[in-house]
Amino acid sequence: MGTVRDNWRIFVLIFVLLASLFALFSPTMAQEGTDTPGLASSGPTNLEYGLQLSGGTRIRAPLVGVTADSVEFGGDGAPAIEQNVANQLDNVTVADVIVRPQTQTSGTVEVTTDGVTPDELGTALDRAGYSYGSTRDGVTEATRTQAIDILSSKINEAGLSGGTVQQIQTPTGENYILIEVPNEDRQSVVDLVNERGNVRVDVYYPSGGDYQQDTVLEQDDFQSIGNARQGGDGQLPNVPVVVREDVAPQYQQRMVETGIADQGGSRCRYQSSPDETDPCLLLIVDGNVVNAFGMSPDLAASMRSGEWAQDPRFILQTTNFSEAREVAINLRAGALPAALDIGPDGDGTSSYIAPSQGAEFRVDSLLTGIIAVLAVAGVVFLRYGEVEVALPMIVTALSEVVILLGFAAGIGYPLDLSVIAGFIAVIGTGVDDLIIIADEVMAQGDVNSRRVFQSRFRKAFWVIGAAAATTIIAMSPLAVLSLGDLQGFAIFTILGVIVGVLLTRPAYGDILRALLTR
Amino acid sequence: MVAFEVPEIDYTRYTNRQLAAIPLAILAIALIIIGGWYAVTGAPVNPGLDFTGGAELRVAVDAPDGQAREQIQQAFDPAPETIRSVPNDNTYILTFQTESVGVSSLEEQARAAGFEVESSYTVSASFGSRTQLLALGGVAFAFLGMSALVFLMFRTFVPSVAVVLSAFSDIVVPVALMNLLGIQLTLGTVAALLMLIGYSVDSDILLNNHILRRSGGFYESTHRAMRTGVTMTLTSLAAMVVMTLVATLFGIQLLAAIGTVLVFGLTTDLVNTYMLNLSLLRWYKYEGVSN
Repeated sequence: MGTVRDNWRIFVLIFVLLASLFALFSPTMAQEGTDTPGLASSGPTNLEYGLQLSGGTRIRAPLVGVTADSVEFGGDGAPAIEQNVANQLDNVTVADVIVRPQTQTSGTVEVTTDGVTPDELGTALDRAGYSYGSTRDGVTEATRTQAIDILSSKINEAGLSGGTVQQIQTPTGENYILIEVPNEDRQSVVDLVNERGNVRVDVYYPSGGDYQQDTVLEQDDFQSIGNARQGGDGQLPNVPVVVREDVAPQYQQRMVETGIADQGGSRCRYQSSPDETDPCLLLIVDGNVVNAFGMSPDLAASMRSGEWAQDPRFILQTTNFSEAREVAINLRAGALPAALDIGPDGDGTSSYIAPSQGAEFRVDSLLTGIIAVLAVAGVVFLRYGEVEVALPMIVTALSEVVILLGFAAGIGYPLDLSVIAGFIAVIGTGVDDLIIIADEVMAQGDVNSRRVFQSRFRKAFWVIGAAAATTIIAMSPLAVLSLGDLQGFAIFTILGVIVGVLLTRPAYGDILRALLTR
Repeated sequence: MVAFEVPEIDYTRYTNRQLAAIPLAILAIALIIIGGWYAVTGAPVNPGLDFTGGAELRVAVDAPDGQAREQIQQAFDPAPETIRSVPNDNTYILTFQTESVGVSSLEEQARAAGFEVESSYTVSASFGSRTQLLALGGVAFAFLGMSALVFLMFRTFVPSVAVVLSAFSDIVVPVALMNLLGIQLTLGTVAALLMLIGYSVDSDILLNNHILRRSGGFYESTHRAMRTGVTMTLTSLAAMVVMTLVATLFGIQLLAAIGTVLVFGLTTDLVNTYMLNLSLLRWYKYEGVSN
């Protein structure tokens, strides 16, 4: 009679445990289309593992750039300002200057090349005749968001599944881009994201005894970009593209004017003899000429007749397939507004764990945890000598870990070494508190009435609550500061303490009472 | 089943001064070590890779130990600052404190020498110094927050100071030991120091609570608090010793670092709680309260 009412804490604990087990093992709970870093559930549980336990690459770095706020445009348009500012700075091209209007007449000016200081930007603005509020290191929120979008699509285009890109901000106000790509080695991720990915097509043609080079197609001028093709049959690897309809006629005209679309096409010998070649088209990625090619007689003819502009298809030839793939990725993802500050003298961190190493850590850390639990169990059994007290203690402490694991599986929080360390810490504090309860309840003779039990239990709880509060306070800086890898440790220690105080430790009291007041 | 009992110590045989002398001497020595370290190296602890910047590689080398070390020395330019072998398998953890050569080229050098790169990690110097600032701020915040909470809970000066002082010593002594044993300050050890704030206060609160808020004589309360508190600390200590050993064997540095510092701290805590804190409480109970 009244068992449920008296032992409701135990029933709540059992219910939560079942829910956690469900979250852990039920196939219906498996996360689909996982967008968290790490592998989707592997093995029998729904747990997701972070990079440390599954292998992969993590890069954390700010974007390169300096920004001037509240710049008065003085009636100039964005392109004009970009040109004017670039002219005042060494080694800065128009592509490195971004003007973002915020009102009709003012906005921000960013310069996104390495080596420009805020002071230099200020001087350049002064010289160009624009007044501004202040200059600082870093780029604008709009640029960061754009960079994150582009990096994400680059990673997707490259077929790196499960990769994520996000923005993190430190409490001191610095912004970092965090990129995590499971199962991929560091170098290829760095290569992929390090590239600004600026693709353009230039025309290279003789003009007055000399050669001249003009840009004819840029990123925005393509309407659609096909998949990279292997080539074969005498054809080089290439990317089929369609030029935008409004740009096509102009492009066509340039081809005819510069002589690329001459009668009989053109044969490019840019690589071997750049001084006496026919006109060429140059495919340029991040300022480097990737390939140079001429034009077939057929295509040249259709350009001359004006037919081509009706159906503006075109192929970008490269010398090998991986280049073709890179060009396709860059064209589709777009160019990064600013580069990531990684590299030897950069401002970030990167880490790589081989998948085999991750798997090994997974097993090893599990073993470490189990052995630590056994050690705790050993001491507890030695100390109490009574299975009735010690066994529920171990079971209760373990149930805290099961609940936390269920929670991690439920919200798809990726497990890392630091989270495992948190679990071990939770078992430690959990057992400590259970020892306090057990000692308090069994102190001074037998517990024969429920009243005695309740009052002793309440006394024990004061200490437990106080200890829990200090642990939460001590861990809270780690949970909110982005001290990288330790956030998981702090979050799960705090969660464990909360679950313990609200749920498992009161339930242990009930279990003990049921066993002692029989 | 064999049950062990926490031995009862006859505290009446010792004066407060005698009791407090040992932990205070330990604390003083620890502070001198840290101060000396600061005077000589310019930092109170040896900051690790996380804070100074640099690179770390974990490579598998298919050769017996002596030969492997030689191969590693030859393979890299610049040569690694430290080489540590992982007991469990033939892997080595190398650290490079260099800004000039990127980790990419170190990876290449490793592969060129026929090593397998199992993991790599690099932190830039400026990122590291920022992390250091955050970590210091975090420890300071945690300590002040804990102190404020303790004063709120006990609302009396001496018992609160006793808790805060012994928690302070619980952090300072492990830091001094880290210096002596050549353990670097990493994110893992910072986490362990924060964890210590939480762990060490447990037994102090328990002791204060038993002595100040319960009926019964001083020595009886003390003994009851000790029975519980020592058991608590011993279980945590057992878990941490085992975790440290196993994690070292497996080469899981984060867990090993956390374990080592907690072992130091928990051991210190036993001394601090039952000598320093206890003597302060006894003084407060018998002499400090005027009524």
